[in-house]
Amino acid sequence: MGAALVQPLRIAVRQEEESARSRGGGREDEAELAQRALEGDRTAWDALIARYHHRVVVSLLARGVRVDRAHELAQETWARLVQQQQKGLLRELRLPSLAITQAAYLAADEARRQRREALAGSVEELPEAHHPVDPSASAERRLLSEEQLSRAQATLSQCSTSARRIFLLACDGQELPHAEVAARVGLSVQRVRQILCEVRKKLRSALEEEAAP
Amino acid sequence: MNQRHIHPAEAELYVLGEMEPEAAAALEAHTLECAPCAAVLQREALLEEQLREVAQATVPEPQPQVLRPARWSRPARAAVGVLLAAAAAVALVLLRPEQADPSPPQNDFPILALPESLPEEPLRLVACPDLSSQEACAAQAFARGLMVQYPQGVGEVPRYDGHAGLPPGVLEADGPYSL
Repeated sequence: MGAALVQPLRIAVRQEEESARSRGGGREDEAELAQRALEGDRTAWDALIARYHHRVVVSLLARGVRVDRAHELAQETWARLVQQQQKGLLRELRLPSLAITQAAYLAADEARRQRREALAGSVEELPEAHHPVDPSASAERRLLSEEQLSRAQATLSQCSTSARRIFLLACDGQELPHAEVAARVGLSVQRVRQILCEVRKKLRSALEEEAAP
Repeated sequence: MNQRHIHPAEAELYVLGEMEPEAAAALEAHTLECAPCAAVLQREALLEEQLREVAQATVPEPQPQVLRPARWSRPARAAVGVLLAAAAAVALVLLRPEQADPSPPQNDFPILALPESLPEEPLRLVACPDLSSQEACAAQAFARGLMVQYPQGVGEVPRYDGHAGLPPGVLEADGPYSL
């Protein structure tokens, strides 16, 4: 069901994203948008959702949620945030981190609920009947181990200063579009993408490398 | 139904949000029915999230800048400084004309006299985290000209070492020590 249902929304979201991207730059309105959303401005919410929906979906995919369920959970996330804002419970709106945290909470909650439901059946059907459950492997777990982090940081420190700066600008959670990153470092968008691609490739091999024995 | 399996490069494009909407929808539909491709997509998404964690855990180094005093880059403050210095000079001349120094003024950088134009070094911050003694701690620190941050301060706790008037090393000396 999910895929067909969420499709129209997703396409609309993509189109908004495209238009946001083609505006090239325009992060100055970020704080203003968040402020307007906090005041209950529906169009501001729409713009923020369009901007960050895909990011929330990807964060759920990373936690092993199916793509259709990820779209549903992401939409539920936005609904909850809007609800909290309407009740006056939202003091500040730091996106996308707030939405990602809320989505991770919903995903964890759902995983727990599914386990409870499974418990109503036979105990033998529980996955932990066959494998002991690692308590650290919950849905809230960090996605990165300490060794991975230090390996990645060592790799990053071997990159050139400008490549490091571009990577940090593009990935530090502010969601700067590539055009904005390019404007800040004074390179072309094409070159920024190339550099990002190279850094990602290096970091990927560092992250996927087996931990040293 | 799209039967073609997903290439990791496509999954990466999807994760980065750079795929055409139709292609993205086809990819999503495929992962719903093909577990190995769903795993490929999850791996890419996980990598993307991990990269963001790396970026957020990495402190960006300060930007290389032309070496010059920070105050020069603040025209407003500099203007205030110049105005204040001029006012001070006028006041000096008007109020104490007989003591006005004929030699040229020593302060080439009159802005230095302003507290807000002090060099941007970290302030000497101390913490007084102990709730029972923090009032006394803060009073002592103020007396020594330290900035105090409490209760959950991050600075170091000021140390008040006892001083017996002995030169350092006396207590550790093996033999007699000449005072």
